[in-house]
Amino acid sequence: MSDETTSPPKAPVSPAGRPVWQRLSIVWIVPLAALVVVLAIAWRNYADRGPLIEIGFENASGVRAGTTELRYRDVKVGLVEEVGFAQGLGQVLVKVRLDQAVAPYVDGDASFWVVRPQVTTQGVSGLDTVLSGVFIEGLWDNEPGPAAARFDGLADPPLERLGTPGLRLTLRASGGAALTENAPILYRGIEVGRIGKPVISDEGSTAEAEAVIYAPHDRLINSATRFWDASGFSFSFGPGGAAVDFSSLASLVSGGITFDTMLSGGSPTEPGARFTVFEEESAARASIFSGNEGEALTLSVIFDENITGLSTGAPVELNGLRIGEVEALNGMVDEARFGDGNVRLAVTLAIRPGRLGLDGENGTDNALDFLSERVAEGLRARLATASILTGGLKVELIEVPNAPEAQITQTEGAPPVLPATDSEISDVSATAEGVFERINALPVEEVMAQAITLMQNANTLIASDDTRAVPGNVNALLTEAQALPARLDTTLAELETLIAQINEQALAARVSSLLDDAAEAARSVGSATEGVPQLIDRLDTVAARAGEVELDVLASDLSALLASADRLIGQDDTRALPGQLNATLGELALVLEELRAGGVVDNAVAALDSARSAADTFAEAGGDLPGLIAEARGVLARANTTLEGYQAQGGVGRDARAALREVEAAAKAVASLARAIERNPNSLIRGR
Amino acid sequence: MDLPEGVNTARGQGLVGCTRCTRPSPAGTARCPRCGSRLQSRDAMSLQKVWAWWLVGLGCYIPANLYPMLETRTLVSTQSDTIVGGAVDLARHGNWGVATIILIASVLIPVGKFVVLAGLAIGVRHGPQISEAWRHRLYEVVEYIGRWSMIDVFVVAILSALVQLQALATITPGRASLFFALSVIFTMLSAQSFDSRLIWDSAESARPARKPKERIA
Repeated sequence: MSDETTSPPKAPVSPAGRPVWQRLSIVWIVPLAALVVVLAIAWRNYADRGPLIEIGFENASGVRAGTTELRYRDVKVGLVEEVGFAQGLGQVLVKVRLDQAVAPYVDGDASFWVVRPQVTTQGVSGLDTVLSGVFIEGLWDNEPGPAAARFDGLADPPLERLGTPGLRLTLRASGGAALTENAPILYRGIEVGRIGKPVISDEGSTAEAEAVIYAPHDRLINSATRFWDASGFSFSFGPGGAAVDFSSLASLVSGGITFDTMLSGGSPTEPGARFTVFEEESAARASIFSGNEGEALTLSVIFDENITGLSTGAPVELNGLRIGEVEALNGMVDEARFGDGNVRLAVTLAIRPGRLGLDGENGTDNALDFLSERVAEGLRARLATASILTGGLKVELIEVPNAPEAQITQTEGAPPVLPATDSEISDVSATAEGVFERINALPVEEVMAQAITLMQNANTLIASDDTRAVPGNVNALLTEAQALPARLDTTLAELETLIAQINEQALAARVSSLLDDAAEAARSVGSATEGVPQLIDRLDTVAARAGEVELDVLASDLSALLASADRLIGQDDTRALPGQLNATLGELALVLEELRAGGVVDNAVAALDSARSAADTFAEAGGDLPGLIAEARGVLARANTTLEGYQAQGGVGRDARAALREVEAAAKAVASLARAIERNPNSLIRGR
Repeated sequence: MDLPEGVNTARGQGLVGCTRCTRPSPAGTARCPRCGSRLQSRDAMSLQKVWAWWLVGLGCYIPANLYPMLETRTLVSTQSDTIVGGAVDLARHGNWGVATIILIASVLIPVGKFVVLAGLAIGVRHGPQISEAWRHRLYEVVEYIGRWSMIDVFVVAILSALVQLQALATITPGRASLFFALSVIFTMLSAQSFDSRLIWDSAESARPARKPKERIA
């Protein structure tokens, strides 16, 4: 390139041996600084690196190494570093690098679950994970604890949401109550808790679910609280119209339970307490009064017979005292155990120790001990009829004398088994059958037929012309009785004529003394007969009433009438009257004997015949009256009058008959003599 | 490339050229009489600077390729791609053209720069394998083309500025973009630090004894 000759003058160069730092460019600081920065970052990263934890999951759907985050309260606190399998491929192991800041809090209590989008009847949750991919949510308390490296992930989110502590309970479904996962627990329509995943209880008879009541509503729960199923709806149709009733649309669709504290003064509830969820509010309310306090002793009984009629909730009775109820019914086929392939009835009983007076700390144990002792003495369970009408059954615990040896058998993981004996259903039904047969054998038809006949007879009697004619006859009779004085007048007029003739034939002297007696008798009769017009008036009234067939009034009137008649007849004068009349008539007969010889006798006889016929008419009428009364009595009796009324009327009838007979006699006497003789003194006085 | 015989360097003529206004001055002149910049016949620290920048640039280039360049969040997915990964992805989807451009701009050019710079620096110290004219041309190409590597960074910057549709789609620059930009900057500085006159010195000293060079060193 260049020759030595043309070589330029020596360029000034630095003297050799300069210090190293002077020979180095300042630019070297840049890579050094970069190196320092890199080292610093690397060291910081390493120093800040949190611990690696392992979480075991059933599957790792959506979890990706390096992408999926671990979140706490929706803040990223870690990252999935590796997804692999646990030994034996039983689980998916997700290794998560925790942030240093939260690492101390992630202790043994921490729980993890994968948040995925979920569409349930409760709503849509985790929608953001559709876009961002799933993430692992962690939950731990605020207290630092000893570190743990291995966790088991939950399949479902835990009940306690972040920042919402609450009271954990165990709910047990009874009857048809349904426990739906994640369903709300409502109180006065407000959600105060959630139901967890229901599982079948250990003994397999009911469903149980964890539930949580969020604070501060947990103080609403105490031992007197009752839960019931608020889902579904009821439809009622009544005079007020149709009504559909349901708690809320959400609980209608998704289920839900609600609760109420039915009594004041319940004791506070411990976490994990067990509550029964009833099918409906009424059952829940009923349970509060059934001494349902305390934990129930669960027993099972295996009945050889499989008989319909037993249902859950049926009573369990010990010597007639209800000590519990049937909790579940299951069929059971266990050829190895029983030696045949028959279906047996396995009944789960819930015995309330409180009902045995054994409540308290170890109520169930005490109750079991008590029952074990009793079983050794012969206590057995049997099915018995609870209701003849419905055929419902109950479980009875009774002591069977000379029972074969047996005891309560206890098996791990299953309720103790109470020995059973033959049920008593057939006896009861036979008795019931006997009762029904007897009822059947009663001559109901005959009785009815007789009653009908009786009523028909009464009807016929009342409707018959004869009966209807009775009032008319009575009327006619009374008319004749009224006409009687007129006829007596005529008769007496004839008698007067006769006596005038007698006077003329100078028989006056004998007749005079005779007539003095007669006059006296007539005076007596006069005073005696003062009541007679009144009596006839009454009869008239009676007859008028009888015309209207008011038999009761008639009866009372008759009663009064007859009382009057009785009074009349009871007078001494009246009683003396027949005797005197007889005497008078005897003498009169003698007079007439003599008169007959005088030729006037025929007239007198005719006159007396007329009088007798008139009296006979009266007598006839009087004879009819007892018949009438008898008929009236019959009618009245069959028209269901009281016995007292019957007797009273009977008395009336007897009195009436007797009275009328006496009236008849009196009337006869009056007809034949009295009026005439009453007038006679006048003629005698004038004629003589 | 053939060089005409008897090419003299300024230094060979006892002169020193001003690197800014190119005016030659007699050797030993401290400052350029025309523009007043400092005159130095050869930058004694040139190779040190080249190597220093080169090392930092290479150091930055490694994370630039390991970390994602772009993070694309759309409604349904989040995608983050490294430079090569993105290019491979594009090629797999049939966008050979775009993939090629990316590969050339982001891989071929930077890597080529590192190789060429390293080669030039080594060539100055040790015996050059290729002629001075070729090396000079390579140097010019490297210096010229180096800035175009920034095209990747610009694309990322523009995209992340434009595509900000919140939840629908968002593009954010990945960590690699920063390292890539740094790498480009450092390699440019490295290229600039190279005193191209050294190329010719070695050519000049190749034939005679390497006296001047020993002096320089």
